Amino acid sequence: MSLVPQLLFTGVGIGAIYALVALGFVLLIRAASVVNFAQGEFSMLGAYAMVVLSSLLGVPYWVALPIAIVLMAGFGVLFAGATYWPLRHRGQLPVIISTIGASIFLANTVLALYGPSPEVLPGLFDTPGFEVGGVFMDSQYVAIMVTAAAMLLLQFLIFEKTLLGKKLQATSQDKEMASLLGIPVALMVLITFAYSAALGGLAGILVAPVLFVSVGMGTIISLKAFAANIIGGFGSIPGAILGGLALGIVETYGAA
Amino acid sequence: MGVPHLTRRAFASAAAAAAAFPRFARAEDTIKIGAVFPSTGPAAEAGKLQLNGARQALETVNEKGVLGRKLELVVEDDQTTNPGAVLAFSRLAGRPEIAAFIGPIRSTQVEAMSPDVLKVGKPMMIGGTSPTLTNQGNKWLFRCRPNDTYSAKVIAEFGVADLKKQKWALVYSTDSFGTNGMKALEAALKDKGITPVLMQGYTNQASDYTAVVLAVRQSGADILGSYFTFENDLGIFARQLRQLGVTIPWVGSPSIVNTTALNLAGRALFGTYGVADYAVDATPASKAFADRYQTLYKAIPDNQSSWTFDAVNLLARAISDAGNTEPEKIRAALAATRGFAGAEGEYNFDSKGDGLRGYNVVRNENGKIVFDRRIEVKE
Repeated sequence: MSLVPQLLFTGVGIGAIYALVALGFVLLIRAASVVNFAQGEFSMLGAYAMVVLSSLLGVPYWVALPIAIVLMAGFGVLFAGATYWPLRHRGQLPVIISTIGASIFLANTVLALYGPSPEVLPGLFDTPGFEVGGVFMDSQYVAIMVTAAAMLLLQFLIFEKTLLGKKLQATSQDKEMASLLGIPVALMVLITFAYSAALGGLAGILVAPVLFVSVGMGTIISLKAFAANIIGGFGSIPGAILGGLALGIVETYGAA
Repeated sequence: MGVPHLTRRAFASAAAAAAAFPRFARAEDTIKIGAVFPSTGPAAEAGKLQLNGARQALETVNEKGVLGRKLELVVEDDQTTNPGAVLAFSRLAGRPEIAAFIGPIRSTQVEAMSPDVLKVGKPMMIGGTSPTLTNQGNKWLFRCRPNDTYSAKVIAEFGVADLKKQKWALVYSTDSFGTNGMKALEAALKDKGITPVLMQGYTNQASDYTAVVLAVRQSGADILGSYFTFENDLGIFARQLRQLGVTIPWVGSPSIVNTTALNLAGRALFGTYGVADYAVDATPASKAFADRYQTLYKAIPDNQSSWTFDAVNLLARAISDAGNTEPEKIRAALAATRGFAGAEGEYNFDSKGDGLRGYNVVRNENGKIVFDRRIEVKE
């Protein structure tokens, strides 16, 4: 019986989603000192954007995917303008409250537009999965793991190997110093918001075929991502990833 | 320009309106039924369906009238929350002209309102199926759906007698609905001399059911009985069940035949059985209700509409039998209801206020819900 590897497989799959959302979470904490309680809603909006594009407007999946990600990045900028920008000199708490407000607003807006029934979003691949050594590999979980690994690698390359990445890092470490060095801090913060929203949206799209698309999906995911952050050490990037994976695995084994 | 001047036609229509006014005044003289339905919040959609059923019943009732008057619904929004339900009821309770009430379909809301209903002392028709609601000595509650002890008995009866299976795995939500359902099913199986080989709970909104599915697979069960609260949990579980190669027969609580679940789980639910308190083809009365409903609302009705349809008809009949709108008389008339053919089944109210004791077994035939048979529980 393949109980242990089967549970490990799904645990890592679901943990990868938590890690992706936790990553978006951490980046905002570091770059803008914002604990964003609407991070889960980014995932929910990303998934709904895909539902609208691919199911409603009939855009092919692989065309709809980049459009949805770009839309989410744009939304991240709007979100920053509405919740962070006006309150950025007032300290952390008002911004946190404003993200909580935004989270409630976004969830209820989607509820009003779409109703409470969950929607179905097809997976990346037509095949449900395949079996390897008695372990059933759900194709969507495989896609989640591969994408998560690719995103982590991409993020590493951007942050460590490009000038933009260095500027973003400088901003997150010390905004005052960064601005003295001529780095456009405001632009860097906006880029972080855009990236964070795109990452959250991608996580939502990836997990939608497994968990379905519903108004409540954001809350479930963000709660877990928040826990992943705490487990991995608040504000630590590798910690968020490890925390997410650990949470996914513990959750799956815990149910057994 | 734009200065209004009185034309002969405008004067005539104003006069006609004035003449019609006494009729508006008479329209006030209706028998009022207060209804607590959700029109905002997550169950807003369901609230609309409940209103549809009630309105459909009013249409026929008001052709003849009750005690020479018309019935009128006064609806308050429960916001899909317990505090909302209590508040909505208190607004209705403050209107002495209301003769009786129709309460929510959610057991937890009925539970929250029950003490106030007792204080107000007027009959309330309810749709919540938790067995405890009619077991707390509140004589004003009348249930228009069979309670959950009957669903468990019907699941057990169908699985053992019709499908001839003995080794049961029970999967249930660990919330109050799921736990009570599981306990009732366990008891129903015990009556048949069967101890389940597995009783596996899960928490609502779990993201993954691999562990639960593997437990079912390893238990060696040849039939699965389930109490799922939320359709998305059911959808994820069903898909993982099929992916991990479990194909044993499955008889589920009503959520398994819910439109949302069918939509979410798709092929994964093909071939499963479910118990449903309302099925279109169950009885001539349920068929007649569905036909008219389809003409009126261009949709196939489900249990959200059928029970409110019955609730209005039962109240109309009881008020008519009572001869006036005195609460105690309406209550006595409701309690005396025997052999009333409603959309949900035949109503015979017992001393606790439970009117129905039967469930329909339906099966999912390639995504279409087909009526199998109706099982009346004999006590």
